[in-house]
Amino acid sequence: MDLDQLLEISNQCIHSEPPVCVASCPVHMDVIAFVSEVEKGNFSGAYKIMESKIPLSRLIGKICERPCEKTCVRSHAGGSIRIGELEKSVITFGYSAPKKPLLLPKNKGNIAIIGGGLSGCVAAIELDKKGYKVTIFEKSNRLGGRLWEYVSNGLEACDIEEELGMIEQKGIEVHYGIEVLEKTLPAYFERYDAIYLGTRTWSKSYVVDPHSFQSENPALFIGGYLQNPNAMTIESASSGKRAAVSIDRYITKASMTASREREGVFETKLHCTTDRVASVESVPLSASTYREDEAAAEASRCLKCQCDACIKACVHMQRFNITPDRYIRSICHNERIVLGNRTANTMINSCTECGLCKAVCPVGIGMADIIHATRESMVKRNKMPLSAHDFALKDMAFSQSDYFSLVRKQPSKEASKDLFYYPMIAFSAYARGLYKGSGKTGYLFYPGCQLSSTHTDYIGSIYKHLVGVIKEKDAMNDVGLFLGCCGAPADWAGRGDLMHDNVEKIRQTWEEEGRPTFILACSSCASTFAKYLPMIQTVSLWEIFDTYGLPEVDIKKGKRELCIHDACATRHDGKIHESIRNIVKTLGYSVQELEYSKEKTKCCGYGGLVACANPEQAEDFAADRIRESDPDVLVYCAMCKDMLVKGNKRAYHILDVIYANETDQSSPQKMPTLSDRQNNRKRLKRQLLKEIWNEEEEGSMDPTYDFTLHISDEITALMEKRFILLGDVEKVVANSLSRQERFFNPKSSDYLARLRIQNVTYWVRYEEAGRDITVKDAYMHRMEVVEG
Amino acid sequence: MNDQIDKTTEWVCDKCRQALVPQKVKVRYLDGNFEVDLLKCPTCHMVFISDELAMGKMLEVEKGLEDK
Repeated sequence: MDLDQLLEISNQCIHSEPPVCVASCPVHMDVIAFVSEVEKGNFSGAYKIMESKIPLSRLIGKICERPCEKTCVRSHAGGSIRIGELEKSVITFGYSAPKKPLLLPKNKGNIAIIGGGLSGCVAAIELDKKGYKVTIFEKSNRLGGRLWEYVSNGLEACDIEEELGMIEQKGIEVHYGIEVLEKTLPAYFERYDAIYLGTRTWSKSYVVDPHSFQSENPALFIGGYLQNPNAMTIESASSGKRAAVSIDRYITKASMTASREREGVFETKLHCTTDRVASVESVPLSASTYREDEAAAEASRCLKCQCDACIKACVHMQRFNITPDRYIRSICHNERIVLGNRTANTMINSCTECGLCKAVCPVGIGMADIIHATRESMVKRNKMPLSAHDFALKDMAFSQSDYFSLVRKQPSKEASKDLFYYPMIAFSAYARGLYKGSGKTGYLFYPGCQLSSTHTDYIGSIYKHLVGVIKEKDAMNDVGLFLGCCGAPADWAGRGDLMHDNVEKIRQTWEEEGRPTFILACSSCASTFAKYLPMIQTVSLWEIFDTYGLPEVDIKKGKRELCIHDACATRHDGKIHESIRNIVKTLGYSVQELEYSKEKTKCCGYGGLVACANPEQAEDFAADRIRESDPDVLVYCAMCKDMLVKGNKRAYHILDVIYANETDQSSPQKMPTLSDRQNNRKRLKRQLLKEIWNEEEEGSMDPTYDFTLHISDEITALMEKRFILLGDVEKVVANSLSRQERFFNPKSSDYLARLRIQNVTYWVRYEEAGRDITVKDAYMHRMEVVEG
Repeated sequence: MNDQIDKTTEWVCDKCRQALVPQKVKVRYLDGNFEVDLLKCPTCHMVFISDELAMGKMLEVEKGLEDK
């Protein structure tokens, strides 16, 4: 992984990008933090925020021309936030006199400020703070320049005097009545390390850099009115502040330009809109200044502009309280660590790789590809936590084993001749399809492992339906069957090695079968094929249903409303979205679209193997989706149904609806256990072989035991949570019985046995009554205990 | 892990009919090798691990080693 490239992406994230009000403020007052304090009624806190950015804030805060208000996003929804009025109110209620300044040694250099106007005073204060010995030369008998124009027009003379009086209290020397001229300037250069020129007029015109305020004489800096006669007061103050930064850099021989791109007014990349914002009018002033409650009400109108589209949409980012920019930095840190804990592992394995963040991001940053690359890198470096994906990968191996894996051509005409008698041929499209058998496999139905695990009994019917409808219209092409796993779990786990082998096997089968079109029923299969097997033409089962017709099933009267939860793997597949909606409407349902649907759909929580690596995070995803859905949910991915039903939401797979198997509203829905799912896959293969291909399996591959296990619902739930299969429990018990390797508790008469199976030690506590074994506990550890 | 390990138990080894005794036992996972006191049968050396230990401290140590 190229971490530098990754960091480059993180820099594009605009989550931390300032709002337009701050970007248009020459001194970058943190408006959001400021209004937030006002909203809370913390006026002194709000004043501190003003003070930290606005020089002479007690004065400028009252007379600032408020460029922030002109750009305020709220202006399109009830009027800009009256930031200027809020500042006045904050000065009234939150101002407190600054603590007496500590007189620190001023030994960084000597600076002369020529002209004690606004910008000169600001430059003097800033340089004094930085540790310079500052001397102001003012032509008149008072400091402040243009500030005095505001007396009785926003400012009180006594306030100006008090504020400016503090300049001398800080230890800044002020010489009144001294007019410096161009001809006397060289003498000042001899006595001072740098000079700031902030007079209203000057006899010579200098070329001034508009960013650094440095003139062609490198020790001379010019700001205020002289540099920009049209400047607003806040710009003038800003110029003094920025010139002080330049003078400090000049004297310390630092770069004049580095990291200063965004000083002063700049353009933010954050563009917020009021599309979904209700209009709220400004709070009117009941007197010359807002009262505290009025100010708080006005502050509460602030939209607090920030880009958080991905965070709002994603419970993963919410759970880890992270933004893409920080996320990427955490990944880089995690990847670079040599010694110590990789603290981001769990987070990296809790992303569903669903792609929603990218779909909602205004600058197109997506975490899915980054997470995928990170997981692959972790696997390659042997740093992927073993337990995160172990169960899912073992389950995938099961799907690829002879227990489930199967490839068959359409039963030949010859082999099916028993079906070809009158009523059968007349009434069964399937029999007619077989009769038209061409021997050329044009299509391979690939139901996928999870649909076969949880919706086992539909697969045979679907296959027969496909043979019927496809052969009816396309006599040349037979429909074969391929049971297996596309490899999605390996892909999610970052196991490029397993993925490569699996893809190669599928590609070989495709070649051997004469390059048929795959009919896919699982959205994860669809995305895996698109990503790894682009040479294979695929079509979704739903499109086939939509084009060739649905199985003939009695449509129930009085259908209801459903909301459609689109599968995240189909995010960019408009054809599937359309087919699903067509089918549902054909069946008489009305559809309620969710806010996050189609290309902006949310993941159910199964994606990215999150249900395996971080079950709590997976539950967040399901709960989030359920909160959004009022009517029952229609899904077309077996795993989505599983996750939503487990979250106690009534959900139907589209096949439930097509085959009119919506369960009774009053009975709770139940999904098969992990063990059921493996058994269902085994059973499906056996059944299909027998029913369609008339093949009997030679001898069962399963071991047989001479005991009967009894497992309560409670223990079954515990086993599910701990990813313990019934088969594992059976093996432990069988081993303990045959070898008497077990502990006995004389008090409870329970037995406790253990067995290491591959890389896990399973423990089972049970009660034995003849051949009846009642399981009372099951647990496991990966750590290997060396006995002996 | 020692603080969580029982020093005595009601469990006995079914085959050897022996009470379990605490002894140093080697455990390993990934790059981690430890010696801990665990209850075992003094005759056949079968080691006893409780649910609390397996799903508690052992799991925690496993996760810690996985993140190393």
